[in-house]
Amino acid sequence: MPITSRSFVRWNSFLFAIGLLALVVLIGATFWLIARTSDYADAALTARQVRADIADLKSLVQDAESSQRGFLLTANDSYLGPFELARQEIPSKLDSLRVYVTQEPALAEGMAALSTRINAKLDELSNTVALARAGRTQEALAIVDGGAGQKLMDEARDLFDTLIDGADRRFASSIAAQQDSANALNWVALAATGVILVVVGSAAWIVLNYTRDLASARVEIETLNTGLEEKVRERTVELGRANDEIQRFAYIVTHDLRAPLVNIMGFTSELETSIAPIKELVTGLEEEGREIGEAKLIVAEDLPEAIGFIRSSTRKMDGLINAILKLSREGRRPLKPERLELQPLLGSCVDVIQHQVNDAGGEVTLDIRVSHIVSDRMALEQIVGNMLDNAVKYSVQDRPLRIMVRALPTLVNFVTIEIEDNGRGIAEQDHERVFDLFRRSGTQDKAGEGIGLAHVRSSVRNLGGDITLESRLGEGTTFKINLPRDLRTVTRSNAA
Amino acid sequence: MNNEARAVTIVMVEDDEGHARLIEKNIRRAGVNNEIIPFTNGTDALNYMFGPDGSGEVSAGRHLLILLDLNLPDMTGIDILERVKANQHTKPAPVVVLTTTDDAREIQRCYELGANVYITKPVNYEGFANAIRQLGLFFSVMQVPQTL
Repeated sequence: MPITSRSFVRWNSFLFAIGLLALVVLIGATFWLIARTSDYADAALTARQVRADIADLKSLVQDAESSQRGFLLTANDSYLGPFELARQEIPSKLDSLRVYVTQEPALAEGMAALSTRINAKLDELSNTVALARAGRTQEALAIVDGGAGQKLMDEARDLFDTLIDGADRRFASSIAAQQDSANALNWVALAATGVILVVVGSAAWIVLNYTRDLASARVEIETLNTGLEEKVRERTVELGRANDEIQRFAYIVTHDLRAPLVNIMGFTSELETSIAPIKELVTGLEEEGREIGEAKLIVAEDLPEAIGFIRSSTRKMDGLINAILKLSREGRRPLKPERLELQPLLGSCVDVIQHQVNDAGGEVTLDIRVSHIVSDRMALEQIVGNMLDNAVKYSVQDRPLRIMVRALPTLVNFVTIEIEDNGRGIAEQDHERVFDLFRRSGTQDKAGEGIGLAHVRSSVRNLGGDITLESRLGEGTTFKINLPRDLRTVTRSNAA
Repeated sequence: MNNEARAVTIVMVEDDEGHARLIEKNIRRAGVNNEIIPFTNGTDALNYMFGPDGSGEVSAGRHLLILLDLNLPDMTGIDILERVKANQHTKPAPVVVLTTTDDAREIQRCYELGANVYITKPVNYEGFANAIRQLGLFFSVMQVPQTL
């Protein structure tokens, strides 16, 4: 199935979004898990610290007790060193442990109990040491012997063990949790990698498919394009053939029409010559006094009149046929493209009518802004000549004739030759009609068969151009002849 | 008119009977009294000139002048012109091409093929009659060689 560019964009955006999401989740999870791991590591560290502190505390208490026993036994002050040290350090140890323990509610109770026992034990130890120093060693020994200190110490030992156990458990659980976190991090990374791989793979697959589709589409377009060019060429050939056929048709028709016309004219003439003897006969009979009835009128008027109409009609028909013939012949004439300097060419066309225009007090102005074109000289001269003749022919009596001939570059490869006059103009509804064969516009007070403009248009089109007009009735007319700069480019593409 | 000129036979190949009649009338008016053999199609004309075997030997010894229209129903006048000028027996016969066509290329082609005179039938009758009469005068002074 071909991938449309819309679905391509949609799918790729979708995959991109999934990939991005997976990446964000991965990064988030990683950060979170790293933070958690570090938390667990902290917790483990704390647990170890607590355990070490508890163990220290325990040994401090035990040292204090041993030191007391030694002092009581020997009354030697040197035994009291550890006791004094313990008495100084124990409160600060207890304080820091208490701070730790606030984070560990499970140990809080044990810690509080331990704190009480240790304080009580320290009190007992201080008490006995003070008694011994005062020389009341017996009293001190009695207190020791009383067993209260022993009991306190036992309880404290139990509490120490419990607390150490708790700290150990806490350490173990932290380590385990840290391990879990690391595992989880692994899994998340693995899953995200999987998702990203799938996404990238799919995207790559889609891009590959799309590219392949594009490539095949391009090949298809190229094929179509070639086909299209081929088709255009075929059509052009067909058109050319159709055009040739029309011209051949016009040519044959005109010739075949001419043959019967020759007969009509010929035998009309024969009739005409036969009138003379008949007329003589009729006149003779009349002179003899014979009744001749309508015969005289027929011979004198009806027959010559009929023959006159036949003649004028055939003459007209001959004119029309000749016009068609001329058109068809013009179309069949091979064009000879050559470089034409417009200034002298248009100038010489103007020269032909200059005399006529000057006599009537008018003037012709040239404004040539294109140096040259490549076209058929004869056709171009005929076209321009015809236009200028028309301008002179259809000028208005009450104002001097002004003709403006311009040559301007238009489009890229075209030149417009404008012929503007201030003549009688052409009514709007006749703007297209005047180019039709045998059609004329306005008052029919000038001789003409309605061939000129039809011929001009056919010639202009032959040269690969077109002719249009702008006109206001009574004000003047501007004919615009659009011609290719180079006739060869047009004929080449026509012939192709 | 001398006897030799009288012996010339005018072969007129013209499918339009009206034209044929007008041509004949005007030739006669010009004082040409030679025999005119009219044909309305190319096949009959070729049969006459080349005989049933197509060799053209039938024309040997004849004095022929051929009036030829180019638009014929069964062939073009150019085909006839070609055959006439290609055959040794008919080759010496003058050929006058008489047609409505005034296409320069066609005229050129006719002369190339050996046509002696090319006349465009004018529609205006005076012109036409005049052309034919002049042709008649031309015939009357022309020495048509005997075909071989």
